[in-house]
Amino acid sequence: MQVSKVSSDLSDPGAAGWSGVTAESVALAPMPIDAQPTEYVRTKWSALSYGNVAEAKVAAAHDGATAWVRLEWADSDQPNTEFPDCAAVYFPAGGDAPAATIGSEAATVNLWFWRSDEESGRHLTGNGPGVFRPQDGAVSAAASLDGGRWAVVLAHPVAELRDGGRLGVAVWDGSNEERAGIGAATTEWVSLSIDS
Amino acid sequence: MTDVMQPSTGPLKQIAMVFDLNKCMGCQSCSVGCKVLWTQEEGEEHEWWMTVNTQPGKGTPKDWETMGGGLKDGVPVPGQQPGRADFGGGWEFNYQEVFYEGKGNSVHLKPIETDDGRNEWGMNWDEDQGAGEYPNAYYFYLPRLCNHCTRPVCAEACPSGAMYKRREDGIVLRNEDQCQGFRMCMEACPYKKIYFNYARKVAQHCIMCFPRLEEGVAPVCARQCPGRLAFVGFLDDEEGPIHKMVNEWGIAVPLHAEYGTGPNIFYVPPLSPYRLHEDLSIDYDTPRIPPEYLESLFGPKVHSALATLQSELETVRGGGSSEILDTLIVYNWLDLFGPFTNDPAELDRSPQSIPVEISAKK
Repeated sequence: MQVSKVSSDLSDPGAAGWSGVTAESVALAPMPIDAQPTEYVRTKWSALSYGNVAEAKVAAAHDGATAWVRLEWADSDQPNTEFPDCAAVYFPAGGDAPAATIGSEAATVNLWFWRSDEESGRHLTGNGPGVFRPQDGAVSAAASLDGGRWAVVLAHPVAELRDGGRLGVAVWDGSNEERAGIGAATTEWVSLSIDS
Repeated sequence: MTDVMQPSTGPLKQIAMVFDLNKCMGCQSCSVGCKVLWTQEEGEEHEWWMTVNTQPGKGTPKDWETMGGGLKDGVPVPGQQPGRADFGGGWEFNYQEVFYEGKGNSVHLKPIETDDGRNEWGMNWDEDQGAGEYPNAYYFYLPRLCNHCTRPVCAEACPSGAMYKRREDGIVLRNEDQCQGFRMCMEACPYKKIYFNYARKVAQHCIMCFPRLEEGVAPVCARQCPGRLAFVGFLDDEEGPIHKMVNEWGIAVPLHAEYGTGPNIFYVPPLSPYRLHEDLSIDYDTPRIPPEYLESLFGPKVHSALATLQSELETVRGGGSSEILDTLIVYNWLDLFGPFTNDPAELDRSPQSIPVEISAKK
């Protein structure tokens, strides 16, 4: 995926500058039940349907300092529950981190995490489906829900994206009580080609 | 993560409590003491880490005994996460309207309507309803807090590894900085004693007042209890009253042991008056609280516990003495608190006494 260099601020998902950035369609699949980190989650969800968001449109750009990743996907039209809709992009932080499980115990990924009930994003590490821990450094986020589609922009210094070289995407449908490793994620890394 | 719960790294000692239900009068001093100390901040309005409910009843959260969780044959049972409506409470009132908008004579004070169902229930909603028909109505009070289980399924369920069972005393704790608010713990806990802080987006539960314990002070629920019925100590302390009541005399039993998690809060079950016949004569064969109801809460051992209590009562009534009853009477208040007898009012509270990391936060 091409990460264009831009001169305008793209922190708003509706920013005009996004029209000049090519978005790619990325396939998502339920994170594997066998890879869930706790027996409780495996037992509870083995017979339940989750991770049904099959596709997200992804675009990325940077201005030399900040990188913006824009995600767009169709929200389920179910009424909200106690759980927010969530989305994340993630990048390998060294090692042979698997994309489909958002990292593994041995291989960490860096997550830029958005949830619909918070103004800002979260900067997390991922070591498996839902094995998320906070890390330093702010992630900013902005989102809009228009015509049944979420559009979210996550922003963070471009270095993390450069170091990772590849990108993964995950989406959680709050109305289906999805959270932690119960959600949809890319099965393969998306390679990044970053304009200098 | 699950590995911190394995027996090889299990606790060296286990903190435990015994509540003597024959002395509980439902005054809520324990729950209010806990509330005042721990859950006064925004997002904690509905949180009552310590609760007292009337039994039989739906309790708190409403119908918690039907919400699943725990273990069956060692395998986790899927559970339901109690939501805002299930806990209820934490109401906001129309103070502004009544007190400041000149409507003091036309509008009464009432909870502000919300769409989350919080006004339909509360932590002590069905107080004193109980069960049975006059003249055989019955009820008793059941104080509940986190059971700090020997096998904490809450911690085992947590994907982000934010929970653990403390090695030195078996207290089950959560690192709130690490908690991602996934609430698997709330589903997995069969006692439904974990709350969600909607402001901070983290789960929270009774911490057994560990900062007090570390200074030799008993948990606030035990110390505030005017009925002298809440014992605190280490289950492993063979000289202590808790070990004797639970393991030696068999008069204190866990709540819903069938949930499989090894709860460490125990109860001396309630004796009850006899039923009355229709002509109001006494039916000496039938206790007012149905034994099968008590068994549904405390398991089959509740019968021998009650039989022991009854027999000890008869011994004393016959002029004899009873170590068991002397223990339950608690002649000396501090005997309740095991090694935690310090008076919090007498602790050093000078600025210099506050650990650096805490004073830095303030």
